[in-house]
Amino acid sequence: MSDKPTFWQTLMSVLASFLGVQSERNRQRDFRTGRPLHYILTGLLMAALFVIVVILLVRWALSLAGA
Amino acid sequence: MGRTIIKTIVSGLALALYSGAVSAEWEVNLTPGVTDISSSVFDLHMTIFWICVAIALVVFGVMFWSIFHHRKSRGAQAHHFHENTLVEVIWTVIPILILVAMAVPATATLVEMYDTDEAELDVQITGYQWKWRYDYLDQDLNFFSNLSTPREQISNEADKQEHYLLEVDRHLVLPVDTKIRFLLTSNDVIHSWWVPALAVKKDAIPGFINEAWAVINEPGIYRGQCAELCGKDHGFMPVVVEAVSKDEFQQWLAQAQAEKQAEAAAAERTWTLDELMQQGEQVYVRACAACHLPNGEGVPGAFPALKGSPIAMGDVAAHIDIVLNGKSGTAMQAFRDQLSATELAAVITYERNAWGNSLGEAVSPAQIARLLEPSTGEAEQ
Repeated sequence: MSDKPTFWQTLMSVLASFLGVQSERNRQRDFRTGRPLHYILTGLLMAALFVIVVILLVRWALSLAGA
Repeated sequence: MGRTIIKTIVSGLALALYSGAVSAEWEVNLTPGVTDISSSVFDLHMTIFWICVAIALVVFGVMFWSIFHHRKSRGAQAHHFHENTLVEVIWTVIPILILVAMAVPATATLVEMYDTDEAELDVQITGYQWKWRYDYLDQDLNFFSNLSTPREQISNEADKQEHYLLEVDRHLVLPVDTKIRFLLTSNDVIHSWWVPALAVKKDAIPGFINEAWAVINEPGIYRGQCAELCGKDHGFMPVVVEAVSKDEFQQWLAQAQAEKQAEAAAAERTWTLDELMQQGEQVYVRACAACHLPNGEGVPGAFPALKGSPIAMGDVAAHIDIVLNGKSGTAMQAFRDQLSATELAAVITYERNAWGNSLGEAVSPAQIARLLEPSTGEAEQ
């Protein structure tokens, strides 16, 4: 029970997957003790957050241009 | 064998350098153009080019040094390892930072490019297979711009001139120091109106209107081409922009409008068969010969022959109808808006009397002018 990945570790693993680079040690830990559902939910949340950030960035860039 | 290859490469390079020296217009790089936008596009291009050069120097430098330094003859031993997370993160994050750094100035230019507000002159550009139509929206002036390179040069029967395939019968004349908005659309398939010196390359799509704009800083002639494969004569519908001073533009506009009225008046006088035949041949070469061929024999299976055809030899009303209104489902266009009444009468007369089609009768410009009237009224409503 104690070596189950924490929320922070799950989040870092999801962000690592966004970047495309993960260390072998973390990968072993995730696949040995993690629950798939946790990663899927965190992934969906982060993807939505990413889209929102992109939308805000575009709005901000356009507002700078006065459009 | 090896020597032949080297010889070929060396002579090829020499030829490339030589032709570069001969032709002053021969340029490898993007043009800085004649608008503020085109020069910022050029600057972006050069910035990104030098970033690419720097990346190449670093990456290939490290690679070549590693290969040379760790060569087998010096007893280098491969170091076996599976992964290095730190290195992988570095080579992923650095490109992201470079891309973001390039996106900042690129976005600024793009936003400016799309800002068509406060234009002083509107020109509608319509793509046709295979010509451009220009409408000066508030000036009651429109015309077609056709390729003017003679057929003999295209078929290698005459020497090719300097602006081979980049010359047209009527230039798109525009004033300098004026914000001109281009409204692009198409009559048939997707075309793309491209003038490198203005940094404008925009698709002309049937049923859509795309916008672009330019403020031309220097008078001059700027040439471009259709940049979207649009069929048989895609390479034969160039764009020629002629930028002139504001005064000259007003003079040109007045003259072009007067010419248009004079042409309408000319349709009312009586034309002889010879006059019509003479003008008809010119119109035919310009507007019809691309498909039906200069000898009127067409391309079997694609474009019907006019020589001895049942339409060109038959009922004159049916002949006039197909030339004016086209034939749907085929490549035959409606020419009622493309040619004047006189030109239409002349070309129909020509088709009925050329290549052994000897009907001996003339179609009068006045007759065509009357057919054009009601429908132009409808079209404007």
